[in-house]
Amino acid sequence: MKRRIPLLIVFVFGVLGAIPFLIPHRIIQDADNEFRSSVLRIIVAFSLVLGVGSIIRHHYEKIRRKRENWQYSYVTLISLVISAIIGLFGGIEANGILPTRFVFPFTNYTFRFDIQTLYTNIMVPLGATMFSLLAFFMTSAAYRAFRARNIEATILLFSAFVVMLAAVPLVSSIFPKLSFFSEWILTVPNTAAKRGLGFGIALGSMATSLKIILGIERGWLGGTG
Amino acid sequence: MKFFEKLMKIDRRIIYLILALVVIVPFLRPFMIHPKAMPPVENLYNYIDSIPPDKALVISVDYTPDTEPELQPMTIALLRHAFARRIKVGVLTLGVLGLGLAENALTQVANEFNQRATTREDSIIYGRDYVFWGWQTPALTVILGMGERISRVFSVDYYGNKTETLPMMQKIKNYNNVGIVVSVSASATPLWYITYGQTSFGIKVGIASTAVQAADMYPYLNSGQATGLLSGMKGGAEYEELVQTRLGITGRRRATEAMAAQTSAHFTIIAFIIIGNIGFFALRRRKK
Repeated sequence: MKRRIPLLIVFVFGVLGAIPFLIPHRIIQDADNEFRSSVLRIIVAFSLVLGVGSIIRHHYEKIRRKRENWQYSYVTLISLVISAIIGLFGGIEANGILPTRFVFPFTNYTFRFDIQTLYTNIMVPLGATMFSLLAFFMTSAAYRAFRARNIEATILLFSAFVVMLAAVPLVSSIFPKLSFFSEWILTVPNTAAKRGLGFGIALGSMATSLKIILGIERGWLGGTG
Repeated sequence: MKFFEKLMKIDRRIIYLILALVVIVPFLRPFMIHPKAMPPVENLYNYIDSIPPDKALVISVDYTPDTEPELQPMTIALLRHAFARRIKVGVLTLGVLGLGLAENALTQVANEFNQRATTREDSIIYGRDYVFWGWQTPALTVILGMGERISRVFSVDYYGNKTETLPMMQKIKNYNNVGIVVSVSASATPLWYITYGQTSFGIKVGIASTAVQAADMYPYLNSGQATGLLSGMKGGAEYEELVQTRLGITGRRRATEAMAAQTSAHFTIIAFIIIGNIGFFALRRRKK
Protein backbone atom coordinates (compact mmCIF):
# COMPACT_ATOMS: atom_id res chain seq x y z
CA MET A 1 0.00 0.00 0.00
CA LYS A 2 2.77 2.37 0.96
CA ARG A 3 4.18 2.06 -2.57
CA ARG A 4 1.07 1.47 -4.62
CA ILE A 5 -0.91 4.56 -3.60
CA PRO A 6 1.85 7.09 -4.46
CA LEU A 7 2.52 5.20 -7.72
CA LEU A 8 -1.18 5.29 -8.59
CA ILE A 9 -1.47 9.02 -7.79
CA VAL A 10 1.55 9.79 -9.96
CA PHE A 11 0.18 7.69 -12.84
CA VAL A 12 -3.29 9.24 -12.74
CA PHE A 13 -2.15 12.84 -12.40
CA GLY A 14 0.73 12.39 -14.85
CA VAL A 15 -1.67 11.18 -17.54
CA LEU A 16 -4.30 13.82 -16.63
CA GLY A 17 -1.66 16.53 -16.92
CA ALA A 18 -0.71 15.51 -20.45
CA ILE A 19 -4.19 14.90 -21.90
CA PRO A 20 -5.36 18.56 -22.12
CA PHE A 21 -2.38 19.39 -24.32
CA LEU A 22 -3.37 16.63 -26.74
CA ILE A 23 -7.20 16.83 -26.74
CA PRO A 24 -8.64 20.31 -27.26
CA HIS A 25 -12.26 19.24 -26.53
CA ARG A 26 -14.17 21.70 -24.33
CA ILE A 27 -15.00 19.15 -21.61
CA ILE A 28 -11.37 18.16 -21.21
CA GLN A 29 -10.23 21.79 -21.24
CA ASP A 30 -12.84 22.84 -18.66
CA ALA A 31 -11.94 19.95 -16.40
CA ASP A 32 -8.25 20.84 -16.68
CA ASN A 33 -9.00 24.49 -15.99
CA GLU A 34 -10.97 23.55 -12.89
CA PHE A 35 -8.22 21.26 -11.72
CA ARG A 36 -5.55 23.94 -12.15
CA SER A 37 -7.61 26.74 -10.61
CA SER A 38 -8.83 24.88 -7.58
CA VAL A 39 -7.12 21.60 -6.79
CA LEU A 40 -3.58 22.63 -7.74
CA ARG A 41 -3.81 25.84 -5.70
CA ILE A 42 -4.97 23.96 -2.61
CA ILE A 43 -2.09 21.53 -2.98
CA VAL A 44 0.38 24.41 -3.38
CA ALA A 45 -1.05 26.15 -0.29
CA PHE A 46 0.08 23.14 1.74
CA SER A 47 3.64 23.74 0.59
CA LEU A 48 3.59 27.07 2.45
CA VAL A 49 2.65 25.29 5.66
CA LEU A 50 5.30 22.68 4.96
CA GLY A 51 7.93 25.34 4.20
CA VAL A 52 7.27 27.47 7.27
CA GLY A 53 7.08 24.37 9.47
CA SER A 54 10.30 23.04 8.04
CA ILE A 55 12.27 26.27 8.51
CA ILE A 56 11.05 26.65 12.11
CA ARG A 57 11.90 23.04 12.96
CA HIS A 58 15.33 23.22 11.30
CA HIS A 59 16.40 26.39 13.13
CA TYR A 60 14.82 25.34 16.42
CA GLU A 61 16.85 22.12 16.32
CA LYS A 62 19.98 24.06 15.40
CA ILE A 63 19.58 26.34 18.41
CA ARG A 64 18.68 23.46 20.74
CA ARG A 65 21.75 21.43 19.77
CA LYS A 66 23.98 24.53 19.53
CA ARG A 67 25.23 23.55 16.08
CA GLU A 68 27.75 25.69 14.21
CA ASN A 69 26.56 29.32 13.80
CA TRP A 70 23.43 28.59 15.82
CA GLN A 71 23.20 32.25 16.85
CA TYR A 72 22.17 33.22 13.33
CA SER A 73 19.14 30.95 13.59
CA TYR A 74 17.71 33.42 16.10
CA VAL A 75 17.97 36.12 13.41
CA THR A 76 16.08 33.93 10.94
CA LEU A 77 13.31 33.01 13.37
CA ILE A 78 12.88 36.52 14.77
CA SER A 79 12.82 37.99 11.23
CA LEU A 80 10.26 35.38 10.18
CA VAL A 81 7.92 36.18 13.06
CA ILE A 82 8.27 39.97 12.86
CA SER A 83 7.81 40.18 9.08
CA ALA A 84 4.85 37.79 9.25
CA ILE A 85 3.14 39.91 11.92
CA ILE A 86 3.80 43.19 10.09
CA GLY A 87 2.81 41.70 6.75
CA LEU A 88 -0.39 40.13 8.05
CA PHE A 89 -1.62 42.95 10.27
CA GLY A 90 0.19 46.07 9.09
CA GLY A 91 -1.20 46.21 5.57
CA ILE A 92 0.86 46.90 2.48
CA GLU A 93 1.60 50.54 3.16
CA ALA A 94 0.78 51.22 6.81
CA ASN A 95 -2.95 50.83 6.21
CA GLY A 96 -3.65 47.73 8.31
CA ILE A 97 -4.93 47.24 11.86
CA LEU A 98 -1.40 47.22 13.28
CA PRO A 99 0.04 50.75 13.40
CA THR A 100 3.27 50.79 11.41
CA ARG A 101 3.69 54.54 11.05
CA PHE A 102 4.63 56.97 13.80
CA VAL A 103 4.76 60.71 13.45
CA PHE A 104 7.14 62.26 15.96
CA PRO A 105 5.51 65.13 17.81
CA PHE A 106 6.75 68.69 17.08
CA THR A 107 8.58 67.47 14.00
CA ASN A 108 7.52 66.40 10.53
CA TYR A 109 9.51 63.20 10.84
CA THR A 110 7.55 60.02 10.16
CA PHE A 111 8.96 56.65 11.05
CA ARG A 112 7.50 53.83 8.95
CA PHE A 113 8.07 50.13 9.24
CA ASP A 114 5.29 48.73 7.01
CA ILE A 115 6.14 45.69 4.90
CA GLN A 116 6.85 47.71 1.74
CA THR A 117 9.25 50.04 3.60
CA LEU A 118 11.04 47.07 5.20
CA TYR A 119 11.23 45.31 1.85
CA THR A 120 12.57 48.34 -0.04
CA ASN A 121 15.12 49.27 2.62
CA ILE A 122 16.30 45.86 3.82
CA MET A 123 15.54 43.13 1.30
CA VAL A 124 16.43 45.08 -1.85
CA PRO A 125 19.87 46.36 -0.74
CA LEU A 126 20.75 43.02 0.91
CA GLY A 127 19.79 41.05 -2.19
CA ALA A 128 21.60 43.43 -4.53
CA THR A 129 24.72 43.31 -2.33
CA MET A 130 24.80 39.53 -2.35
CA PHE A 131 24.44 39.37 -6.12
CA SER A 132 27.02 42.11 -6.73
CA LEU A 133 29.65 39.96 -5.00
CA LEU A 134 29.49 37.78 -8.10
CA ALA A 135 31.35 40.46 -10.07
CA PHE A 136 34.38 40.06 -7.79
CA PHE A 137 34.38 36.27 -7.97
CA MET A 138 33.83 36.33 -11.73
CA THR A 139 36.76 38.70 -12.30
CA SER A 140 39.08 36.62 -10.16
CA ALA A 141 37.89 33.37 -11.78
CA ALA A 142 38.18 34.82 -15.32
CA TYR A 143 41.73 35.98 -14.61
CA ARG A 144 42.77 32.52 -13.37
CA ALA A 145 40.82 30.27 -15.73
CA PHE A 146 40.74 32.06 -19.10
CA ARG A 147 44.02 30.86 -20.59
CA ALA A 148 44.51 30.30 -24.32
CA ARG A 149 45.90 26.80 -23.71
CA ASN A 150 44.55 25.23 -26.92
CA ILE A 151 42.43 26.08 -29.95
CA GLU A 152 39.06 25.51 -28.20
CA ALA A 153 40.04 27.68 -25.22
CA THR A 154 41.25 30.40 -27.62
CA ILE A 155 37.91 30.41 -29.48
CA LEU A 156 36.09 30.64 -26.15
CA LEU A 157 38.36 33.47 -25.03
CA PHE A 158 37.89 35.35 -28.29
CA SER A 159 34.08 34.99 -28.13
CA ALA A 160 34.04 36.18 -24.54
CA PHE A 161 36.10 39.24 -25.49
CA VAL A 162 33.78 40.12 -28.36
CA VAL A 163 30.60 39.71 -26.28
CA MET A 164 32.08 41.64 -23.33
CA LEU A 165 33.33 44.48 -25.51
CA ALA A 166 30.05 44.68 -27.42
CA ALA A 167 28.23 45.13 -24.12
CA VAL A 168 30.16 48.40 -23.74
CA PRO A 169 28.38 51.19 -25.65
CA LEU A 170 31.62 53.18 -25.97
CA VAL A 171 33.28 50.37 -27.94
CA SER A 172 30.12 49.66 -29.97
CA SER A 173 29.95 53.30 -31.01
CA ILE A 174 33.60 53.27 -32.16
CA PHE A 175 33.31 49.83 -33.82
CA PRO A 176 29.61 49.48 -34.76
CA LYS A 177 30.18 46.15 -36.48
CA LEU A 178 31.39 44.61 -33.22
CA SER A 179 27.85 44.73 -31.79
CA PHE A 180 26.50 42.92 -34.84
CA PHE A 181 29.30 40.35 -34.62
CA SER A 182 28.43 39.80 -30.95
CA GLU A 183 24.76 39.40 -31.92
CA TRP A 184 25.84 36.88 -34.56
CA ILE A 185 27.80 34.87 -31.96
CA LEU A 186 24.73 34.77 -29.72
CA THR A 187 22.27 34.20 -32.54
CA VAL A 188 24.08 31.51 -34.56
CA PRO A 189 26.75 29.45 -32.71
CA ASN A 190 25.16 30.01 -29.29
CA THR A 191 21.69 29.12 -30.57
CA ALA A 192 22.98 26.03 -32.35
CA ALA A 193 24.62 24.77 -29.15
CA LYS A 194 21.62 25.69 -26.98
CA ARG A 195 19.19 23.96 -29.36
CA GLY A 196 21.28 20.80 -29.29
CA LEU A 197 21.32 20.91 -25.51
CA GLY A 198 17.62 21.74 -25.44
CA PHE A 199 16.67 18.72 -27.57
CA GLY A 200 18.79 16.46 -25.40
CA ILE A 201 17.31 17.80 -22.18
CA ALA A 202 13.74 17.64 -23.53
CA LEU A 203 14.11 14.04 -24.70
CA GLY A 204 15.77 13.10 -21.40
CA SER A 205 12.99 14.81 -19.42
CA MET A 206 10.31 13.03 -21.46
CA ALA A 207 11.96 9.65 -20.98
CA THR A 208 12.41 10.22 -17.23
CA SER A 209 8.83 11.53 -16.86
CA LEU A 210 7.45 8.49 -18.66
CA LYS A 211 9.51 6.19 -16.47
CA ILE A 212 8.17 7.90 -13.34
CA ILE A 213 4.55 7.97 -14.57
CA LEU A 214 4.67 4.30 -15.53
CA GLY A 215 6.31 3.35 -12.24
CA ILE A 216 9.57 2.11 -13.80
CA GLU A 217 11.68 4.73 -12.04
CA ARG A 218 10.94 4.64 -8.30
CA GLY A 219 13.89 6.49 -6.76
CA TRP A 220 11.59 9.39 -5.81
CA LEU A 221 9.77 7.11 -3.35
CA GLY A 222 12.72 7.67 -1.05
CA GLY A 223 13.96 4.15 -0.47
CA THR A 224 10.56 2.53 -0.07
CA GLY A 225 10.39 1.68 -3.78
CA MET B 1 60.91 34.81 -14.80
CA LYS B 2 59.67 36.08 -11.48
CA PHE B 3 57.90 39.00 -13.11
CA PHE B 4 55.86 36.67 -15.37
CA GLU B 5 55.13 34.35 -12.47
CA LYS B 6 53.81 37.32 -10.55
CA LEU B 7 51.66 38.26 -13.53
CA MET B 8 49.99 34.88 -13.25
CA LYS B 9 49.55 34.99 -9.50
CA ILE B 10 48.07 38.37 -8.64
CA ASP B 11 46.52 38.23 -5.18
CA ARG B 12 42.74 38.08 -5.39
CA ARG B 13 42.43 40.90 -2.82
CA ILE B 14 44.25 43.23 -5.26
CA ILE B 15 41.82 42.16 -8.01
CA TYR B 16 38.85 42.84 -5.72
CA LEU B 17 40.21 46.25 -4.73
CA ILE B 18 40.85 47.35 -8.31
CA LEU B 19 37.42 46.14 -9.44
CA ALA B 20 35.73 47.93 -6.52
CA LEU B 21 37.48 51.17 -7.48
CA VAL B 22 36.63 50.96 -11.17
CA VAL B 23 32.97 50.28 -10.34
CA ILE B 24 32.63 52.96 -7.64
CA VAL B 25 34.48 55.83 -9.36
CA PRO B 26 32.08 56.08 -12.36
CA PHE B 27 29.17 56.38 -9.92
CA LEU B 28 30.92 59.27 -8.17
CA ARG B 29 31.98 60.96 -11.43
CA PRO B 30 29.26 59.74 -13.81
CA PHE B 31 29.56 60.00 -17.54
CA MET B 32 26.58 59.13 -19.69
CA ILE B 33 27.11 56.76 -22.59
CA HIS B 34 24.16 56.66 -24.96
CA PRO B 35 23.83 53.22 -26.52
CA LYS B 36 22.38 52.49 -29.94
CA ALA B 37 19.46 50.07 -29.80
CA MET B 38 20.14 46.63 -31.27
CA PRO B 39 17.46 44.83 -33.38
CA PRO B 40 16.08 42.61 -30.55
CA VAL B 41 15.48 45.71 -28.39
CA GLU B 42 14.07 47.76 -31.23
CA ASN B 43 11.72 44.93 -32.24
CA LEU B 44 10.23 44.80 -28.76
CA TYR B 45 9.92 48.59 -28.65
CA ASN B 46 8.20 48.70 -32.04
CA TYR B 47 5.81 45.90 -31.14
CA ILE B 48 4.74 47.55 -27.88
CA ASP B 49 4.44 50.85 -29.72
CA SER B 50 1.95 49.28 -32.12
CA ILE B 51 -0.34 47.71 -29.50
CA PRO B 52 -3.89 48.82 -30.43
CA PRO B 53 -5.95 50.81 -27.87
CA ASP B 54 -8.22 47.87 -27.06
CA LYS B 55 -5.33 45.67 -25.97
CA ALA B 56 -3.07 45.78 -22.93
CA LEU B 57 0.60 45.31 -22.21
CA VAL B 58 1.17 42.73 -19.50
CA ILE B 59 4.41 42.96 -17.53
CA SER B 60 5.39 39.93 -15.49
CA VAL B 61 7.84 41.04 -12.80
CA ASP B 62 9.64 37.73 -12.32
CA TYR B 63 12.79 38.82 -10.53
CA THR B 64 13.93 39.26 -6.97
CA PRO B 65 15.91 41.99 -5.16
CA ASP B 66 19.27 40.43 -6.08
CA THR B 67 18.81 41.34 -9.75
CA GLU B 68 16.94 44.59 -9.09
CA PRO B 69 19.78 46.88 -10.31
CA GLU B 70 19.83 45.13 -13.67
CA LEU B 71 16.13 44.49 -14.24
CA GLN B 72 14.20 47.22 -12.46
CA PRO B 73 15.30 49.89 -15.01
CA MET B 74 13.77 47.69 -17.74
CA THR B 75 10.41 47.51 -15.93
CA ILE B 76 10.49 51.28 -15.43
CA ALA B 77 11.34 51.92 -19.09
CA LEU B 78 8.54 49.58 -20.24
CA LEU B 79 6.04 51.35 -17.98
CA ARG B 80 7.17 54.79 -19.20
CA HIS B 81 6.70 53.63 -22.78
CA ALA B 82 3.23 52.23 -22.14
CA PHE B 83 2.00 55.19 -20.11
CA ALA B 84 3.36 57.66 -22.66
CA ARG B 85 1.51 55.85 -25.46
CA ARG B 86 -1.60 55.42 -23.27
CA ILE B 87 -1.42 51.66 -23.50
CA LYS B 88 -3.26 49.87 -20.69
CA VAL B 89 -0.91 47.94 -18.40
CA GLY B 90 -1.49 44.86 -16.28
CA VAL B 91 1.30 43.87 -13.89
CA LEU B 92 1.72 40.55 -12.13
CA THR B 93 4.49 38.53 -10.54
CA LEU B 94 5.10 34.81 -10.58
CA GLY B 95 7.36 35.02 -7.52
CA VAL B 96 6.31 36.57 -4.24
CA LEU B 97 9.53 38.58 -3.92
CA GLY B 98 8.70 40.47 -7.09
CA LEU B 99 5.68 42.15 -5.45
CA GLY B 100 7.60 44.91 -3.72
CA LEU B 101 9.68 45.66 -6.81
CA ALA B 102 6.62 45.87 -9.06
CA GLU B 103 4.90 48.14 -6.53
CA ASN B 104 7.96 50.45 -6.40
CA ALA B 105 8.20 50.66 -10.20
CA LEU B 106 4.49 51.36 -10.67
CA THR B 107 4.40 54.00 -7.94
CA GLN B 108 7.51 55.73 -9.31
CA VAL B 109 6.39 55.88 -12.94
CA ALA B 110 2.76 56.78 -12.15
CA ASN B 111 4.04 59.64 -9.94
CA GLU B 112 6.38 60.85 -12.69
CA PHE B 113 3.48 61.13 -15.14
CA ASN B 114 1.02 62.53 -12.63
CA GLN B 115 3.43 65.31 -11.62
CA ARG B 116 3.50 66.45 -15.24
CA ALA B 117 -0.26 66.00 -15.76
CA THR B 118 -2.51 69.02 -15.83
CA THR B 119 -5.90 67.32 -16.21
CA ARG B 120 -7.47 64.09 -15.09
CA GLU B 121 -7.28 62.86 -18.67
CA ASP B 122 -3.50 63.38 -18.67
CA SER B 123 -3.09 61.55 -15.39
CA ILE B 124 -2.26 57.91 -14.94
CA ILE B 125 -5.03 56.49 -12.82
CA TYR B 126 -5.07 53.15 -11.09
CA GLY B 127 -7.83 50.91 -12.36
CA ARG B 128 -8.33 52.99 -15.50
CA ASP B 129 -4.82 52.98 -17.00
CA TYR B 130 -3.13 50.19 -15.10
CA VAL B 131 -3.84 47.37 -12.70
CA PHE B 132 -1.49 45.57 -10.36
CA TRP B 133 -2.88 42.05 -10.15
CA GLY B 134 -0.28 40.91 -7.64
CA TRP B 135 0.98 37.39 -7.13
CA GLN B 136 -0.62 34.00 -7.57
CA THR B 137 0.83 30.55 -7.58
CA PRO B 138 1.60 28.07 -9.10
CA ALA B 139 2.96 29.65 -12.28
CA LEU B 140 1.33 27.06 -14.54
CA THR B 141 -2.11 27.92 -13.14
CA VAL B 142 -1.49 31.63 -13.63
CA ILE B 143 -0.13 31.44 -17.19
CA LEU B 144 -2.80 29.05 -18.48
CA GLY B 145 -5.59 30.54 -16.35
CA MET B 146 -5.03 34.03 -17.77
CA GLY B 147 -5.82 32.63 -21.19
CA GLU B 148 -9.29 31.70 -19.93
CA ARG B 149 -10.15 34.59 -17.62
CA ILE B 150 -7.72 36.92 -15.83
CA SER B 151 -10.18 37.87 -13.10
CA ARG B 152 -10.58 34.23 -12.20
CA VAL B 153 -6.85 33.87 -11.58
CA PHE B 154 -6.63 37.21 -9.77
CA SER B 155 -10.04 37.61 -8.13
CA VAL B 156 -8.65 40.53 -6.11
CA ASP B 157 -5.78 42.83 -7.05
CA TYR B 158 -2.68 43.56 -4.95
CA TYR B 159 -4.57 46.20 -2.95
CA GLY B 160 -7.53 43.97 -2.22
CA ASN B 161 -9.96 45.48 -4.79
CA LYS B 162 -12.22 43.08 -6.62
CA THR B 163 -10.53 42.81 -10.02
CA GLU B 164 -13.77 42.66 -11.99
CA THR B 165 -14.91 45.99 -10.56
CA LEU B 166 -11.93 47.91 -11.97
CA PRO B 167 -12.81 49.90 -15.14
CA MET B 168 -9.82 48.62 -17.14
CA MET B 169 -10.80 45.03 -16.45
CA GLN B 170 -14.15 45.49 -18.20
CA LYS B 171 -12.24 45.25 -21.47
CA ILE B 172 -9.26 43.14 -20.52
CA LYS B 173 -10.67 39.66 -19.99
CA ASN B 174 -7.99 37.25 -21.19
CA TYR B 175 -5.08 36.91 -23.62
CA ASN B 176 -7.39 37.92 -26.50
CA ASN B 177 -7.26 41.43 -25.03
CA VAL B 178 -3.51 41.40 -24.40
CA GLY B 179 -1.06 42.71 -27.00
CA ILE B 180 2.02 41.14 -25.51
CA VAL B 181 3.30 39.69 -22.25
CA VAL B 182 6.79 40.90 -21.35
CA SER B 183 8.43 38.71 -18.76
CA VAL B 184 11.17 40.63 -16.93
CA SER B 185 13.13 37.81 -15.43
CA ALA B 186 16.40 36.50 -14.05
CA SER B 187 15.38 32.89 -14.61
CA ALA B 188 13.55 30.73 -17.14
CA THR B 189 10.06 32.18 -16.55
CA PRO B 190 9.82 33.80 -20.02
CA LEU B 191 10.12 30.29 -21.43
CA TRP B 192 7.11 29.18 -19.34
CA TYR B 193 5.06 31.89 -21.04
CA ILE B 194 6.26 30.55 -24.40
CA THR B 195 5.78 26.88 -23.49
CA TYR B 196 2.32 27.25 -21.97
CA GLY B 197 0.83 30.67 -22.80
CA GLN B 198 2.00 30.88 -26.40
CA THR B 199 1.51 27.22 -27.29
CA SER B 200 -2.03 27.12 -25.90
CA PHE B 201 -3.29 30.65 -26.62
CA GLY B 202 -0.88 32.13 -29.16
CA ILE B 203 0.07 35.04 -26.92
CA LYS B 204 3.05 37.17 -28.00
CA VAL B 205 5.94 37.06 -25.55
CA GLY B 206 8.70 39.62 -25.01
CA ILE B 207 11.72 38.88 -22.86
CA ALA B 208 13.72 41.16 -20.60
CA SER B 209 16.45 39.19 -18.88
CA THR B 210 19.76 39.47 -17.11
CA ALA B 211 22.84 39.33 -19.35
CA VAL B 212 23.78 35.96 -17.85
CA GLN B 213 20.39 34.50 -18.73
CA ALA B 214 20.12 36.09 -22.18
CA ALA B 215 22.15 33.43 -23.99
CA ASP B 216 19.41 30.91 -23.12
CA MET B 217 16.78 33.15 -24.70
CA TYR B 218 18.35 33.57 -28.15
CA PRO B 219 16.99 30.29 -29.62
CA TYR B 220 13.46 31.55 -28.91
CA LEU B 221 14.26 34.93 -30.40
CA ASN B 222 15.55 33.29 -33.58
CA SER B 223 12.50 31.09 -33.94
CA GLY B 224 10.19 34.09 -33.61
CA GLN B 225 8.63 32.74 -30.41
CA ALA B 226 10.03 35.76 -28.57
CA THR B 227 9.09 39.08 -30.13
CA GLY B 228 12.07 40.93 -28.70
CA LEU B 229 14.77 40.72 -26.08
CA LEU B 230 16.27 43.17 -23.63
CA SER B 231 19.54 41.66 -22.56
CA GLY B 232 21.15 42.84 -19.33
CA MET B 233 22.01 46.37 -18.31
CA LYS B 234 22.83 47.31 -21.91
CA GLY B 235 19.40 46.14 -23.12
CA GLY B 236 17.79 48.30 -20.43
CA ALA B 237 19.91 51.29 -21.41
CA GLU B 238 19.01 50.83 -25.08
CA TYR B 239 15.29 50.75 -24.23
CA GLU B 240 15.67 53.86 -22.06
CA GLU B 241 17.36 55.57 -25.00
CA LEU B 242 14.48 54.67 -27.35
CA VAL B 243 11.85 55.87 -24.87
CA GLN B 244 13.65 59.18 -24.40
CA THR B 245 14.61 59.91 -27.98
CA ARG B 246 11.39 58.77 -29.66
CA LEU B 247 8.82 59.79 -27.05
CA GLY B 248 10.67 62.56 -25.24
CA ILE B 249 10.00 60.95 -21.88
CA THR B 250 12.58 62.11 -19.39
CA GLY B 251 13.35 60.73 -15.97
CA ARG B 252 16.20 59.06 -14.20
CA ARG B 253 17.84 56.45 -16.45
CA ARG B 254 19.44 54.00 -14.06
CA ALA B 255 20.55 51.49 -16.70
CA THR B 256 22.24 54.23 -18.76
CA GLU B 257 23.91 55.60 -15.63
CA ALA B 258 25.23 52.14 -14.79
CA MET B 259 26.73 51.76 -18.28
CA ALA B 260 29.79 53.75 -17.17
CA ALA B 261 30.50 51.36 -14.28
CA GLN B 262 29.82 48.35 -16.51
CA THR B 263 32.17 49.73 -19.17
CA SER B 264 35.06 50.17 -16.76
CA ALA B 265 34.38 46.79 -15.10
CA HIS B 266 34.42 45.00 -18.48
CA PHE B 267 37.67 46.71 -19.46
CA THR B 268 39.20 45.68 -16.13
CA ILE B 269 38.16 42.05 -16.55
CA ILE B 270 39.59 42.02 -20.08
CA ALA B 271 42.81 43.62 -18.83
CA PHE B 272 43.21 40.97 -16.13
CA ILE B 273 42.61 38.16 -18.63
CA ILE B 274 45.24 39.64 -20.97
CA ILE B 275 47.74 40.04 -18.08
CA GLY B 276 47.16 36.41 -17.06
CA ASN B 277 47.71 35.22 -20.62
CA ILE B 278 50.90 37.27 -21.08
CA GLY B 279 52.34 35.54 -18.03
CA PHE B 280 51.10 32.16 -19.23
CA PHE B 281 52.65 32.46 -22.71
CA ALA B 282 55.94 33.92 -21.43
CA LEU B 283 56.42 31.05 -18.99
CA ARG B 284 55.42 28.44 -21.57
CA ARG B 285 57.96 29.81 -24.07
CA ARG B 286 60.73 29.70 -21.45
CA LYS B 287 59.89 26.13 -20.45
CA LYS B 288 60.24 25.07 -24.12
